[in-house]
Amino acid sequence: MMLAVALFLPALAPAASVYETQTEFLSRAFSGSPPGPGITWLSGERKVTVRELLGHDYPALRLRYWCRAGRSAWVLNEIGKELPITVGVVIERDYINSLRVLTYRENRGGEVATPAFTDQFSRVALEDGGALDANIDGISGATLSVKALTRLARVALFLHTDSGCKDGA
Amino acid sequence: MARKKSRASVVRRLHRSVGATTALFIIFMVLSGLAINHSNGLGFDQRHVSQPFLLDWYGLAGPESISNFALGDDWLSFAGSQLYLNGKSVATISSGVGAVSSRDMLIAAGSEELLLLDHDGNLIERIAWGPPGADRIESIGLLPGNVVVVQSAGQLWRADSDLLNWQHADGTGISPIWPASVSVPAAIHQAITRQYRGDGLSLERVLLDVHSGRIFGSIGIFIYDLLALAVGFLAISGLIFWLRGRRNKSNL
Repeated sequence: MMLAVALFLPALAPAASVYETQTEFLSRAFSGSPPGPGITWLSGERKVTVRELLGHDYPALRLRYWCRAGRSAWVLNEIGKELPITVGVVIERDYINSLRVLTYRENRGGEVATPAFTDQFSRVALEDGGALDANIDGISGATLSVKALTRLARVALFLHTDSGCKDGA
Repeated sequence: MARKKSRASVVRRLHRSVGATTALFIIFMVLSGLAINHSNGLGFDQRHVSQPFLLDWYGLAGPESISNFALGDDWLSFAGSQLYLNGKSVATISSGVGAVSSRDMLIAAGSEELLLLDHDGNLIERIAWGPPGADRIESIGLLPGNVVVVQSAGQLWRADSDLLNWQHADGTGISPIWPASVSVPAAIHQAITRQYRGDGLSLERVLLDVHSGRIFGSIGIFIYDLLALAVGFLAISGLIFWLRGRRNKSNL
């Protein structure tokens, strides 16, 4: 009986929480009229740098992004403990304009989706060594999710510069 | 006084025998508890159990159905929410509906997403399906020139060469090829079934169930309850003996 209950636990786990769809995110990022997507391939030096920032390879070989007039939007995924967290990051010039959790799938640690936490990333930039130039306060019980979002913020800032969007490309 | 001493002697004997009986259990709980505490670092949450007797014990069966698509020399197969390339698990996907090959990419369609893979099974991109006005993906096919086309709610959607943008296509005058599921070689079928069963059970899950006694069902939990009470008895009786020893020392 208890074995059956234990086996069914994953099925009883809460479904993914969708806070914002990709379409809504892009609409918000570009005031209702997002540009067409571009592609960046994660290969060569770019792949190596992303690996250094994440601590592992990004689980895809190409990424799409949206860029207009020095502002870019990225939808990235990173595993917190077991499941990927989908995050939307808007970068403007050298800093993060906004970072929002679009979909959270883990059982615990969903506090990272609250604006009180994600607002800490606003106006944060990347230092030369690849670290963020501001301290992000952690959340007790959500350490892995906090780290995942921090890693994605670093990757998005790097890709923004690397894609040439920063210079208005 | 003699009666009190005799009772103390019985408790002391009981303390010894319970201690000896539960010693192995305590050692086992300590070791399994340590393993569970560090299961992330040791990778137990990522490792899957493949021993048939354990999978049978947990009642993990093979997939209800496997749909396979032949793409040149490669086989893409859907089983449950898993996607397999040539019998090797490569990704998860929402309800697989079909697969095609175009421009050196393998494209697997789920009802809500498209997965682009290279021929080694590396994920190129996971594309969430959602052109404005589109419903769930019903099937994926090819138009002449290897143009990828998707059917959704009876409507056709045509992709550009990079599969970045989708345009609603008028169905008149075009006849896409819709690949159908076919039989897969027996070796690949067996490999998929073996992995599908194993993927459902992590080593961490087994450790947790062994640690809590759940792996043996309600009897296991009952036995673990008894052993836990025995450990509690040891703690209390040990404390009493220690206090009594201190008192006797101070009386001397």
